[in-house]
Amino acid sequence: MIAEKMTQAFQWTYNENDQEFSLHGSLRPQRADELSNCISALEQSVSNVSGMFYVNVRRLVRMNNVAFHALGCKILDLVRTRTDLKVHVTTSSVVGWATRKFAVLETMSDKITVSEYDNEFYPGQSFVEDSAFIHVLRTQTKLTWRHEKDLLAKHGLKPGMQVADICCGIGDFAVLLQKEFAPDRLVALDHSRASLDYARRVASDFGVRGIDYVFGDAADMLLEDNQFDFVTCRHSLQVFDRPERILKELFRICKPGGRVYVTNEKNSHCLGEPRGESIQWTYTEVAKLWHHFDMDIEIGPKSRRLLIEGGFEDVSIGSFMVTNTDGNPQDFADVIESWKKLFADTMATQRGDDEAFKEKFAKGFDDHIFAALHPKGYAGWPIWVASGRKPL
Amino acid sequence: MQAASEGMSPNSDLPQMIHLDLDIKEFCSDWTHCDLMSGYLARMVCHNRLDSLLFSNLYSSALNELLEAVYRTHGVSGKLECVVQRRGNLDRIILTFPADDETYRVYEEAIGKVNADNAEALYLEALFADQEPGASLGLLELGVDYDAKLAIGRCEDGRMRLTADLALEDETE
Repeated sequence: MIAEKMTQAFQWTYNENDQEFSLHGSLRPQRADELSNCISALEQSVSNVSGMFYVNVRRLVRMNNVAFHALGCKILDLVRTRTDLKVHVTTSSVVGWATRKFAVLETMSDKITVSEYDNEFYPGQSFVEDSAFIHVLRTQTKLTWRHEKDLLAKHGLKPGMQVADICCGIGDFAVLLQKEFAPDRLVALDHSRASLDYARRVASDFGVRGIDYVFGDAADMLLEDNQFDFVTCRHSLQVFDRPERILKELFRICKPGGRVYVTNEKNSHCLGEPRGESIQWTYTEVAKLWHHFDMDIEIGPKSRRLLIEGGFEDVSIGSFMVTNTDGNPQDFADVIESWKKLFADTMATQRGDDEAFKEKFAKGFDDHIFAALHPKGYAGWPIWVASGRKPL
Repeated sequence: MQAASEGMSPNSDLPQMIHLDLDIKEFCSDWTHCDLMSGYLARMVCHNRLDSLLFSNLYSSALNELLEAVYRTHGVSGKLECVVQRRGNLDRIILTFPADDETYRVYEEAIGKVNADNAEALYLEALFADQEPGASLGLLELGVDYDAKLAIGRCEDGRMRLTADLALEDETE
């Protein structure tokens, strides 16, 4: 399951600006002297550093004790001989052995600290990991599925395919995929353990088998190259400050000839009547709010450009509108209510907005709910769907 | 190298998943065999686990340390067998390989350290020792860090058997 190219190659890089020495790949030497070039590069890098020196092993997939002994002893030696130096080791929660292995360094010197890298890649992840948000995520999927069920087939998804759902969140979309399209294999990956726990529980409760829920970083997955016929990534490029990096990974794991399918929003195009003006103002502010947190909730129509620039061919894009006329209008209203809480309360407060702004901001959501529940009203949430084929 | 059919191992009551065997000299002709075998077996047995990627990575790390120990410390000639078994959350790895008395004593000493009250201190001591790691460091790591249960024994044909019981997935995760 681990990408072979990651386990065969071993590299190191040094970023002088960040005083960070990074190790990548697989380190299982027979003898310590096989690492002499790497250790020399580490010594060279640290020679001009005072204060904190960072050692990044987040992408070090494998490491044996020969390598750890050589590297660990060198780090210890550095902090013991250099009074002006401290070392911080950054591990990854995705690579299971790393944190506990490197944590022993902390016990050997108080000048060494070790921490597990976590949500840095996902500025918005902490907002949506709140368990109270799970209900609304499920409702959102329910509302979008009635559109996507047909669209997925039009974008090339067929039964019996090898499918990956990247940034699967609470996994409800993967369950629907499994039931509707019966893929030969379905891997659902996310960077939230809480969401994956929930996903596994739901799949188990519903008796849905065959979904492989895995913990991972969408921007740097451990999955092998060229193994999926169809890769989905929904509403996620927009919560990521570097969407090109995720797309590059989606491209990598997709088989040549396979397709990558993404959905994203352009929140400022949310609409409703009556009270259209207030609604429009609020959603324009939503876009600015997300931008403040390095996320682009306006990315939807940009998906075509992203896919083309990402090397995909036969790029197809379209949009659909989730509305209050899709089934029960209360479902739509519930989604907007949760957005109000998240955007006009949690996120606006974190940005430091004053009460007057928050009140006006919240009113647009209330008006959207009003439009959704009004017997003659109309409320909409537009979503862009795009897919591209990886060249043969 | 050949894979045996499914069934019960003669040495254990756990259902068997994979059985590899090869000549110890062939195995020890190339250091990368440890990495290749551990990676291959981890890929084969990671399916149907709570998190296949995470499991595969941990399993590969643990098995690699066992194989590296055997690579470094083994008898002159004979067959190396690697059997992997599973029941529920318990994964068992059984390595059977040629071992003279001196080789056996190395493992006996290492297992003694793993089972000692101060195993953690012994692990740290070995991890940061001046000399390069010996056969016992990998076993100590498995005992201390992976909470593996390790055992050794003699086979009827004179080879030795190294058994590691691992519970790599926390069901509460």
